[in-house]
Amino acid sequence: MEVTGGSEPGNRARQAADPDAGVGAGPDLAAQLSLVARGDAAAFDALFEQVGPSVFGTVRRVIRDPAQSEEVTQDVLLEVWRTAFKFDPARGSAMAWVMTLAHRRAVDRVRSVQKQTERELRTATAEIPYDDVIEAVETSLDRERVRRCLNSLTELQRESVTLAYYNGYTYGQVASLLGVPAGTVKTRMRDALIRLRDCLGVAE
Amino acid sequence: MSKIRGRDEHTLAGAYAMDAISAADRDRFERHLAGCQECTQEIASLREATARLGAATAVTPPAGLKERVLAAAAMTRQQAPDAAAADSPARARMRPGSWLRSLAWPGRLAVAAGAVAAVAVLGIAVVFGVANGDMRQQLDRAQASSQQVAAVLTAQDAVMMNGVVAGGGTATIVMSHSRDALVFTAQGLRALPSSAGYELWLIGPSGDRPVGMLPAGGNGMTGPVIASGLRAGDHLALTAEPAGGAVRPTTPMMLDVAV
Repeated sequence: MEVTGGSEPGNRARQAADPDAGVGAGPDLAAQLSLVARGDAAAFDALFEQVGPSVFGTVRRVIRDPAQSEEVTQDVLLEVWRTAFKFDPARGSAMAWVMTLAHRRAVDRVRSVQKQTERELRTATAEIPYDDVIEAVETSLDRERVRRCLNSLTELQRESVTLAYYNGYTYGQVASLLGVPAGTVKTRMRDALIRLRDCLGVAE
Repeated sequence: MSKIRGRDEHTLAGAYAMDAISAADRDRFERHLAGCQECTQEIASLREATARLGAATAVTPPAGLKERVLAAAAMTRQQAPDAAAADSPARARMRPGSWLRSLAWPGRLAVAAGAVAAVAVLGIAVVFGVANGDMRQQLDRAQASSQQVAAVLTAQDAVMMNGVVAGGGTATIVMSHSRDALVFTAQGLRALPSSAGYELWLIGPSGDRPVGMLPAGGNGMTGPVIASGLRAGDHLALTAEPAGGAVRPTTPMMLDVAV
């Protein structure tokens, strides 16, 4: 298992183009997305079954508020419906495309709310929340692997990733929360994701 | 930060892939990405990793969320890849030929797609800031009607039926007994002279009632038309009538469905 950050660009490109690279995504997710782009409602229904839990889970993890999370999840899925033609399998997996939309929407929502009311800073934790989740079998495998890979990071890397991805903080906010220079956090974030990528990319 | 240059740009890749970046930095980094193939590839690969972070939080979505999303999608026009394709409606596939078949969501969405054109007009008018009073009233009516349509389509007990129209075309009906209402759409109806039109009826033991004239549809789609106040033993019927409508059917029924 290679956990260093030294992959070559060519290798990265190959990984990005691998349709199976996204976790929780069947190999047919990309094909479904292209049917969705043609207005196929049945394919959209099937796509929701596949990505809905991950989208809703991520959005709720970032936003917390259940009602707002439902609203944003609906926005994300509608954006998938409207703009499915933009998905390009040569540039990454379908799952990554959907999850990128989802996370960005969730973060944008949190930040627009933040402007009005200063959000309470939450304690950093590297744990994936188990508390209130109903998990499917394959997802718990994913979850376990993600947890193992997060644990392979240094503490600063793990905290940076957790605060940024799961709590929706900017690297500047993470830096002030952790009392570390912003430049350091930026670097750690990149190093951490490269390590995660390589750790998660290892076939079972 | 004021500049993204040299090695600095690469260090932002992680923060960017996790959206841990201000809007201003994001825009700047995206301009940089446009000219950096290697960075684009790196971001793509990092996003495979962040997608897994997200997937690890997967939870079963709340009951009803999927139905709301699917119904909303059915009412939402899809973006087209280029201007030439921008005129083709987002249209789900029809399944003609199967008489009286009860289907789950995919079927209902096919019907709802008939509402897409109307809602798209609504959307365009809003985008262009239409403030004209008449137009606003029309839009309000269109919106109220599409809400009624959505209520039937999203009802728990909604069932779908397909029928062949004598003379050409197919009809799709989604009915909800809990709402005593149905939504009717038709595809590929034969064009009638301008002096005539298709009229929809409810016919039953408690009397024959006109539902209304079908609006002339573009793209081969007609409707959706909502018929409410369904009563036991009613049939839904379609006839060709003078353009102004008739008080009772005057021509042979082109469609007759027990609802």
